[in-house]
Amino acid sequence: MTEHIVKSYDRDLETLERRIAEMGGIAEKMLSEAMDALASFDTALAQRVIATDARLDALQREIEEAAILTIARRQPLAVDLRECIAAIRISGDLERVGDLAKNIAKRTSKLVDVARTPRAIIGLKSMHDLAAMQLKDVLDAYAQRDVERARAVWENDADLDALEDSVFRDLLTFMMEDPRNISFCTHLLFCSKNLERIGDHTTNISETIVYLVTGESMPTERPKTRSSTIAAEPPTPAPH
Amino acid sequence: MNVTSSATPELAAKISVRGLNFFYGENRALKNVNLDLHANKVTSFIGPSGCGKSTLLRVLNRMYDLYPKQRAEGQIVLDGENILDPRVDVNILRSRVGMVFQKPTPFPMSIYENIAFGIRLYEKLSTSELDGRVEEALRGAALWEEVKDKLHTSGLGLSGGQQQRLCIARSVAVQPEVILFDEPCSALDPISTAKVEELIDELVTRYTIAIVTHNMQQAVRVSDFTAFMYLGELVEFGETDAVFTAPKEKRTQDYITGRFG
Repeated sequence: MTEHIVKSYDRDLETLERRIAEMGGIAEKMLSEAMDALASFDTALAQRVIATDARLDALQREIEEAAILTIARRQPLAVDLRECIAAIRISGDLERVGDLAKNIAKRTSKLVDVARTPRAIIGLKSMHDLAAMQLKDVLDAYAQRDVERARAVWENDADLDALEDSVFRDLLTFMMEDPRNISFCTHLLFCSKNLERIGDHTTNISETIVYLVTGESMPTERPKTRSSTIAAEPPTPAPH
Repeated sequence: MNVTSSATPELAAKISVRGLNFFYGENRALKNVNLDLHANKVTSFIGPSGCGKSTLLRVLNRMYDLYPKQRAEGQIVLDGENILDPRVDVNILRSRVGMVFQKPTPFPMSIYENIAFGIRLYEKLSTSELDGRVEEALRGAALWEEVKDKLHTSGLGLSGGQQQRLCIARSVAVQPEVILFDEPCSALDPISTAKVEELIDELVTRYTIAIVTHNMQQAVRVSDFTAFMYLGELVEFGETDAVFTAPKEKRTQDYITGRFG
């Protein structure tokens, strides 16, 4: 993109972009460390994740202020205006991702005193890996202003939703097998919900990226299942 | 027509410009311009210096007739009639298509006479009818309350913003159908600018308006449609909201975001 005649305008926009990248990096780290802490019952690591959230909140406020000042100072139009709006939206989504990772980390402290079913964590790890990949991909899509990559993240969220369903069923099974598993598995249920919500925020970010690059909104309804999944069961015939 | 257009086709065109080429001597300043000014809408013309926007505005009421080496080719259709046809009465045309210039140009006469002068050129009215028309015009330009007690003082004694509104009243007095504004607020302070913009919002309910402006934000605020011109060509034409939030042409975006001027 050609530079602005006024160079400080370019610097204003670059600052927004850099701060989003910084927020993204912190959110990614919080997510992976929260999962590690959970899997290895490491309360010290969990505490560090919780403490990091304050930095993320501060960054979000800084980004919002910077975007607002850019709007006041430059009265941006077209792509520049969309950059400012995108920065405000994405920083909000990343701040929520941080909160959700923090919530996962908080569960770790609660799990220390509870009887554990380590194999119950396996499904959750798969969810984490997918959510982490979605987050990385969407942050790359933002950095590259890559619409196709953003759309792929938007589509892939269906896989995360499907994983959440299977984790839900697994956890129910464990709880039904042995009531001593209930406490542990209920905590994990909340964690799986947090991971699914992180996925939702990555789709929000991907929608914002498409808007930023093309100026158009994406369709409101994301398909809940893949278009390639098996067809619905035939309806049961009504009794005579 | 190469222009990128995103205008809806159902609107009525008050003025249709087709295949317009304009020459200053040998120099072609407008190149095959096609666009519609939609009725009761504000259309803004934006573009860097020398792009032809003021030239285009001045063709719309044949101001160029006053200058020997300037000529226009093509069609400009106002209510079914091509105004470029030499048989058209330009004086009548200029009462139907009025113009307000960048620098306020009140006549060196009283406020009353500034308005009455134009009316008298076209119509024979009694004094009381004329009084009524003068008041109507001054009300139409949101100036009546400020000048009603000094109608017989000189128009030149008004402030810049008031003088500009006097010029608008002068245009409105001869009951035009279209009003052309050539950077009407460039010489005005922010408050006077806001008053003129407020006036345009109100005038568009009764007239079709075209405005040339250097101020992007004014174009966004005031216009329904925007035409971006560059080097004599119409590059992009569309609904203002779309042109300024997501323009289709890179040249349009580069200009409105200050990436070239």
